[in-house]
Amino acid sequence: MILPAFLAMGFVACDIDTIDDPNNPSVGAISANASLSEIQNLVTGIEAGMRLNLGQYYDGVGVIGRDFYRFSTSDPRFTSDLLGKGSATLDNNTFYTTNPYSSRYRAVKNANILLEAVDNSTALTTAEARNAVKGYANTIKAYQLLLVWVQQYDNGIRIEVSNADDLGPFIGENDHKAALRAIAMILDEGYGQLTSGGAEFPFSLSSGFTGFDTPVAFAHVNRALLARVQAYNENWDNALDALGSSFLDLGGDLNTGVYHTYSTAGGDALNPQWYPLNATGESRVAHPSFVADAEAGDMRLSKATARDNTEFQDGLQSDYDFTVYANNSSSIPIIRNEELILLYAEANIQKGDATSLNNAVSALDVIRNAAGLPDYSGPVDQAALLDEMLMQRRYSLYGEGHRWVDMRRYGRLDELPLDRSGDDVWTKFPRPANED
Amino acid sequence: MKYKTLCRCILLPALLLFGAQVALAQFTVSGRVTDANGEALPGATVAVVGASRGTTADVDGNYSVEIPGNAATLAIAYTGYKTVNVQVTSASPKVDVIMEEDFAGLDEVVISGLATNVKRANLANAVSSITSNELVGTTVQSTMDGALYGKLTGVNIIANSGAPGGGATVKFRGITTLNGNSQPLYIVDGVYYDNSNFRSNTNFVSAAAGQGSTRYQDNPSNRVADLDPEDIERIEVLKGASAAAIYGSRAAAGVVLITTKRGRKDGSTEVNVSQSIGFQQQLKKLGVRQWDASKVEASFGTDEVAKYNQAVTAGKVYNYEDELFGEKGILNTTRLSINGGSDKFGYYAGVTKKSENGIVKNTGYDKTSVRLNLDSKAFSWADLQVNLNYVNSESDRGYFNNDNTSTTLGISYVSTPSWADLFPDEQGNYPNNPYAPSNFLQTRDLVTNREKVDRILGGAIGTFKLWSNESNVLNLIVRGGADQYSLRTRSIFPRELQFQKDGNGTNGVSIAGTASSFGTNIAAFLVHTFTTNSNISFRTQAGVTQENLDQDFVNTVASQLIGSQTNLNQAGSVQVIQERLKQVDKGFFAQEEVNFKDIAILTLGIRGDKSSRNGDANKLYYYPKASLALNIHEMTDLGGEISQLKLRGAFGQSGNFGPFGATYTPLNPIIIDGSTGSIIGITLGNTTIGPERQTEIEMGFDLGFVQNRYNFEFTYYLKNIDDLILQVNTPSSSGFTTAWRNAADLENKGFEIALDLNPVRNRDINWDSRISFWKNTAKISRLDVPAYNLGAFGATLGTYRIEEGKSPTQIVGIDPDADANGLHVFGDAEPDFQMAFNNALRYREWELNFLFHWKKGGENINLSTLLSDIFGTSPDYDGTNLDPSGMAVNGDYRLSQLGVSANAWVEDAGYLRLREVGLRYNLPPRWFNDKAKVKLGFSGRNLINIFDYSSYDPEVSNFGTDAISSSVEVTPFPSAKSFFFTIGATF
Repeated sequence: MILPAFLAMGFVACDIDTIDDPNNPSVGAISANASLSEIQNLVTGIEAGMRLNLGQYYDGVGVIGRDFYRFSTSDPRFTSDLLGKGSATLDNNTFYTTNPYSSRYRAVKNANILLEAVDNSTALTTAEARNAVKGYANTIKAYQLLLVWVQQYDNGIRIEVSNADDLGPFIGENDHKAALRAIAMILDEGYGQLTSGGAEFPFSLSSGFTGFDTPVAFAHVNRALLARVQAYNENWDNALDALGSSFLDLGGDLNTGVYHTYSTAGGDALNPQWYPLNATGESRVAHPSFVADAEAGDMRLSKATARDNTEFQDGLQSDYDFTVYANNSSSIPIIRNEELILLYAEANIQKGDATSLNNAVSALDVIRNAAGLPDYSGPVDQAALLDEMLMQRRYSLYGEGHRWVDMRRYGRLDELPLDRSGDDVWTKFPRPANED
Repeated sequence: MKYKTLCRCILLPALLLFGAQVALAQFTVSGRVTDANGEALPGATVAVVGASRGTTADVDGNYSVEIPGNAATLAIAYTGYKTVNVQVTSASPKVDVIMEEDFAGLDEVVISGLATNVKRANLANAVSSITSNELVGTTVQSTMDGALYGKLTGVNIIANSGAPGGGATVKFRGITTLNGNSQPLYIVDGVYYDNSNFRSNTNFVSAAAGQGSTRYQDNPSNRVADLDPEDIERIEVLKGASAAAIYGSRAAAGVVLITTKRGRKDGSTEVNVSQSIGFQQQLKKLGVRQWDASKVEASFGTDEVAKYNQAVTAGKVYNYEDELFGEKGILNTTRLSINGGSDKFGYYAGVTKKSENGIVKNTGYDKTSVRLNLDSKAFSWADLQVNLNYVNSESDRGYFNNDNTSTTLGISYVSTPSWADLFPDEQGNYPNNPYAPSNFLQTRDLVTNREKVDRILGGAIGTFKLWSNESNVLNLIVRGGADQYSLRTRSIFPRELQFQKDGNGTNGVSIAGTASSFGTNIAAFLVHTFTTNSNISFRTQAGVTQENLDQDFVNTVASQLIGSQTNLNQAGSVQVIQERLKQVDKGFFAQEEVNFKDIAILTLGIRGDKSSRNGDANKLYYYPKASLALNIHEMTDLGGEISQLKLRGAFGQSGNFGPFGATYTPLNPIIIDGSTGSIIGITLGNTTIGPERQTEIEMGFDLGFVQNRYNFEFTYYLKNIDDLILQVNTPSSSGFTTAWRNAADLENKGFEIALDLNPVRNRDINWDSRISFWKNTAKISRLDVPAYNLGAFGATLGTYRIEEGKSPTQIVGIDPDADANGLHVFGDAEPDFQMAFNNALRYREWELNFLFHWKKGGENINLSTLLSDIFGTSPDYDGTNLDPSGMAVNGDYRLSQLGVSANAWVEDAGYLRLREVGLRYNLPPRWFNDKAKVKLGFSGRNLINIFDYSSYDPEVSNFGTDAISSSVEVTPFPSAKSFFFTIGATF
């Protein structure tokens, strides 16, 4: 009677087995030895996570870049803070600053977890499979960091964030190109991994990556993103090299590329940049200058559709709805051929020699013709062609988050229209309050 | 290394076993135990001091006990009487004992430790005790937690609502956590008794957790409601760490030790039967706004005036308060208990059948509780106890509290003016309510919102007498138990409801939830007592404990119902939630008590605990304790009428776990393009997180006069809680926006005073009175993060604010007179003080008991008035006592403050109430040939209520047992007062 009691005592005095989270998969378990399905889950999680707060990202850069207005009766800050109304400034602890920032880094974190899992996973039996996963993760991570850079600019951005308790330094404080170089390095690392990643990914991707869902094809996406980064960094030869290995196709469909997909299926997300036509109160309307500045006959004006009634708010008004996306299931591009053609034109213009300028003109004509416009007929010199290129970028990539960055790159933010006296055009978003 | 030490410290005493000896010489002592009037005291215990043997007196008070050796001291004890010590020798083996009544309860044995008891006279803490008679002697109690009101100093209890089936927030000596468990640990006969609450998920329909607040507001009951108060013999409350340190890391919110009734030991059998019947009605009627055409126009527009006039002409202006809350709910309690036994075997069986109807139609509470407690003393070397309890309960709780769909009974009621006609036609078709999304009469009649519980509690305690001689006793106590229940929630919103049909909802919702909980605990202790010849005793104890808890909550919401079907698969859309909790705790403790002739009692102890809830599951956290009681009156004659002076001081530490899951960094499900993936959660788990640590120092004195007929008790405490667990903001470049950290400290201090009086005491009349007073103040003494608002619905309507140097329950809001943060302090949920006045009067066969409870101050955030103002239906809308300028009527004034100041919704929630009153007549036993004692009684709960608060009851909590925001009101189930007639017989 007594002895068993003491055996029981000995028993209870011993160790407690650690209890894994009974409700969710845990990072620790996946990092330690991920199964193929867990790797798939992380990949799908990255794809879905890239969409989190993406609407607020595009609203931020689109409104500051004067592509469109975002009217909201429930939140006046879209028309006050973002447009610098009166004394309003961008706040470092408000949703437009913090939400896109934290969501991009959340996707980065998922990519870092995936990178950590790859090395410890016994389910990935070949070096090729491991490379393929890493190449994917690094490419996406670089893209997410690039979006952070767009808003943070010369605040610098953290590149090394894999240890939450010991975050890396801000790279590129007062030197925005340093951050771009770091992003390019991650892309290059990913490219090397993808090109030695075998014929198949050991996971599947959503329909937004159709045609780019093998390591080889995905490497073209990697190079396309690098071309954008190198252009932003004004490394024109490198940009052209990258374009050469990308899916650039001067004669191809302008919409070929990779996308965030949306659907009305249960649990999936809806396109956050879509509002029904003639919406009031909560609406997204084209900046009047987009229609006013267009060349006659430009078919790309379909991206701004005339409203039945003028929409007013906070001293602003527009007669056109923002209609880049046809419905709430429309995909949002990550990068597509039309941008690559324009990047090709831009790099050639910057090279400046006669052959290059002619190459640029033919590329711009591809874009113009597709928009129903005649061939370029202006002077073939660097200055004129740069204006033309920026004009074509404005209309071709309207609402896709480019104009603000383009005007900033070329020091032309002061050319963006101010609609109310006292409005401002911001150069960058503040660093989020919690980062300091 | 630590575990080896741990193992050794437990195994070492075990080796002592093998040295066990048995003394050979012995003799028998016998005699009779009586009170001062010569009446036998059956069941009095007769213990041989320093030896593990003893007996109990039989029906006639006779006892007989064998004594080892040639001489010994007998300790004779009987509840309510002073313990008597007598010397016996083999030369004079016949000893009669006359016992003196113990007015102050000094010899009452208080359960204060894991394995041992102590006489109240020797206790170094202000442990509050409640006996069965205090608990349920005055009136019928619906639930155990409700029965504690006003009976304990230092305690703040808030009923969450008036919904049948209970639900209360219990706080001892202030709040003890911000995010962790805020409710005390309940232990019933040594078994850990789970007090969780599980939401019904009516939130799917109400969407209450969505806009203003992310917290659930489904108004669940908490599971301590399952205990039958009638089975309880006594309750001890350890209010802070100085008393509860030996319960370690679960004890920070206090410990409630519940001892249930046991069999008699005198060979007799007692049967009790009783029947109570009563009713409850709305505690306070607010009335309805008295309309006239101009008010209708002002609140509802010109178009409504015609409708109003039409309704007046047709006599169709209704008092919907009476319609909705006007039921007189019948309350029925039937009770049977049998107890009996001998000195070898005892049994107690209790059955309670309770049926209560609420003040709202289709609400109510039914409970059946069966208990069987068995004791065996058949072996000289072991005492065994087995306890079993089965409870089945069902409560229909109505559909109340906050929502964002204007569909709860409470919110649709305040949205609807008196001239609306909501009554069904002859075919039973309800008209749509044109003023709100819900016809609340239809909702009341058709919606089901039910909680059903099946609970089994089983426990066993074995006391093994390993070794004893004249001066040593070594006992092994092994205790274990299991607590298993399943809670099934069922909420049905049929598709013909106004807010479900015609595109207004999801064409019917059927929600089924199952929460199963299984907890076990086992503990083993060695207790060694060594008593010297000069009556100095040393009691050493050491033991180990283990507790496991495994909970699984599954909730399924089916919507788009097919016809009138309520099966979950007869639906177009189904959502499932599952939440599991697993926990393993292990610990050890050791304690040394030194009792110097009952003059000085020193206790030192330590508990070491580890738990899977901590970041490092195998790290031991230590909780020490030390206490000293000095009985000055035992040392010297204090003279005058002073019969007792005790000085006491105690120090102790205890812990509290953070929220379950704080150690984990989860991956959350996320969907794209038909595939489900995993995305990192936004909160970083903390793998180094430790428990919140409470350190309490308590000091006080007890003073007794005139043979302790008058007693004064004073206690001061200072309670610091360090390392409070907060969800702090992190640099979001880490991928996380928040993280769990031990990042704040909290300080509670206060005092408790009790005055016990027995001014009249003779054969015909007895008057016992207890006046108590208690006060607590709290402040955040460290905060590693910037001050932040917490709980309720934001600063516009009043919210709580965690700020260094301020009370954690301060209520702040926007105001023209605001500080740099744009906030103004409007109040504090903490009461200024509380008082209770408890009286027991007996005149011959008549007994009168009553308990007044006064809570002074403490504010609530009352948003019921906000909602009724918005819809123009506030009963006091046309009053003129609020606007300082005297211009606006109350409703208009409060509405004018919306967005300007939160002041209008912060209200004094103090009250004075007659908690309990009971009048009882004991029929002369000769009427029943002395075979039965029969009593008749009238009693009531909450019969008198005085408060300024403008809603139904200042005792209310929209957020249930939430640590901070437990004083917010949003259209709750109104409270009730109840009346009972009871007849009981004892055979």
